[in-house]
Amino acid sequence: MTKALKQKSLELVCPAGTPAALRAAVEAGADTVYLGFRDETNARNFPGLNFNRRELSEGVDHAHANGVKVLVAINTFPKAGNPGPWQEAVRDAEACGADAVILADIGLLAYAAENHPKLRRHLSVQASASNEDAIRFYAEEFGVKRVVLPRVLTIEEIAALNATIPVETEVFVFGGLCVMAEGRCSLSSYVTGQSPNMNGVCSPASHVRYEERDGQLISKLGEFTINAFDENEAAGYPTLCKGRFSVDGSISYLFEDPTSLNAISMLDALMAAGVTALKIEGRQRGRAYVSKVVGSFRQAIDAAIEGEVLPDIDMSDLTEGASDTMGAYQKSWR
Amino acid sequence: MRSVARSPSKPSVIKLAGLLMRPLPLAPLQPLLAVALAVMRRRHDGVFERLAELDDPLFVIDPTDLPFVFKLHLHHQRPSLVASREFSTEEATAIIRGPLPMLIDLLEGRLDGDALFFSRELTVEGDTEAVLLLRNAVDSDEVDLFEDLLSVLGPLAGPLRFAADARKAVVSGWKAAT
Repeated sequence: MTKALKQKSLELVCPAGTPAALRAAVEAGADTVYLGFRDETNARNFPGLNFNRRELSEGVDHAHANGVKVLVAINTFPKAGNPGPWQEAVRDAEACGADAVILADIGLLAYAAENHPKLRRHLSVQASASNEDAIRFYAEEFGVKRVVLPRVLTIEEIAALNATIPVETEVFVFGGLCVMAEGRCSLSSYVTGQSPNMNGVCSPASHVRYEERDGQLISKLGEFTINAFDENEAAGYPTLCKGRFSVDGSISYLFEDPTSLNAISMLDALMAAGVTALKIEGRQRGRAYVSKVVGSFRQAIDAAIEGEVLPDIDMSDLTEGASDTMGAYQKSWR
Repeated sequence: MRSVARSPSKPSVIKLAGLLMRPLPLAPLQPLLAVALAVMRRRHDGVFERLAELDDPLFVIDPTDLPFVFKLHLHHQRPSLVASREFSTEEATAIIRGPLPMLIDLLEGRLDGDALFFSRELTVEGDTEAVLLLRNAVDSDEVDLFEDLLSVLGPLAGPLRFAADARKAVVSGWKAAT
């Protein structure tokens, strides 16, 4: 199987939070790696994570030497009156040799289209473009070549979109799952003053505490208890949308359980729906996660392309809450 | 100030080693730890560049199968790594607990920290942001304790590496045969 054929069929887009994770992704079989700068211009602005300019240049060299592309996520929304860091990020991404930038804000898209026309532009999931009109607008006005679809669409809806839009689509197939409208969710702001849209962090670690109390692990965000896990119960990160709360005396998850998306069994259907690229979430995860998840999807995609039976791969040890879901791809209530 | 005395808790080869080490003084271990930290700084400067974001933190690394802890003090000019039988929770920026083999696998990037935490095999107490930064910094480069320590041995490194590779081949051959 040649690289060209793989990329023509299903491109595997993999996360890298650090230079070592980038090398791990390349080694494990990524077609493309996506990453961000070490600041609030991207939606994984976590402590100790991401790339400075030198690391990006070296990472691009390493990736290109192995036939792998690099995408730079600049997908938070510039602050009013201070577009400088976001525009510099676009300029530096091009200077470092990135193959494309992943953008969400229309002002930044306009800046990139006007000032860096040769730099390929992808539309971030943070733009939440989920219908033909919205996607056509981004394609026609800003020359966007690919849209990362929000995790709210069924496979039938994705197939219908692909039949009508003039750009490639990329969909998430594994990792942490946002259940809210991406690019619109400000839940984290109500408790911490920071959101993924403006600061690149949902439930920033500076506001997270874990406490052992009476045999339970208590997870807190700011002053609020988000969950309490029994001794042998799998735990999760305290995001408000995955909190377990007491309502009228009954304790339950209100929006979503701590769980991760896993669509590895749906690759045939996604390929048939005309999807160009499959995205693995998890720039904030370690390189052990990157190696295993990327390697597993490489194996599964190669099998899908060959028309072989998909291998049975267990990745439950890497999921949040030790459980997974096919998310909106297979929502029974729809 | 609450002091915590360390005691091993799980049956394992490491626990046996821990029990054997219990009566021994920790002083001979300190120079080795100092060398290990110095080698880490030299070979993985990017890790320490990321850690510089933290303000003078003290991490207590608590291998649950050893009768002592490691105190990693990331002072900007003079970071230190020492073994200690006691520590106070108040002085620590964060405490990270787990079996030693798992902690080494985590350090060398063979295991995922989030997964270990979600499955409750790794426990963390204290400043979550500092722990996250430590994890991300350590994970940003390919740390290999054995190779790092070999690097200070000069001409002795070659024979030792050869011996280690031969041992690995024998062990893997034995595993394959059984």
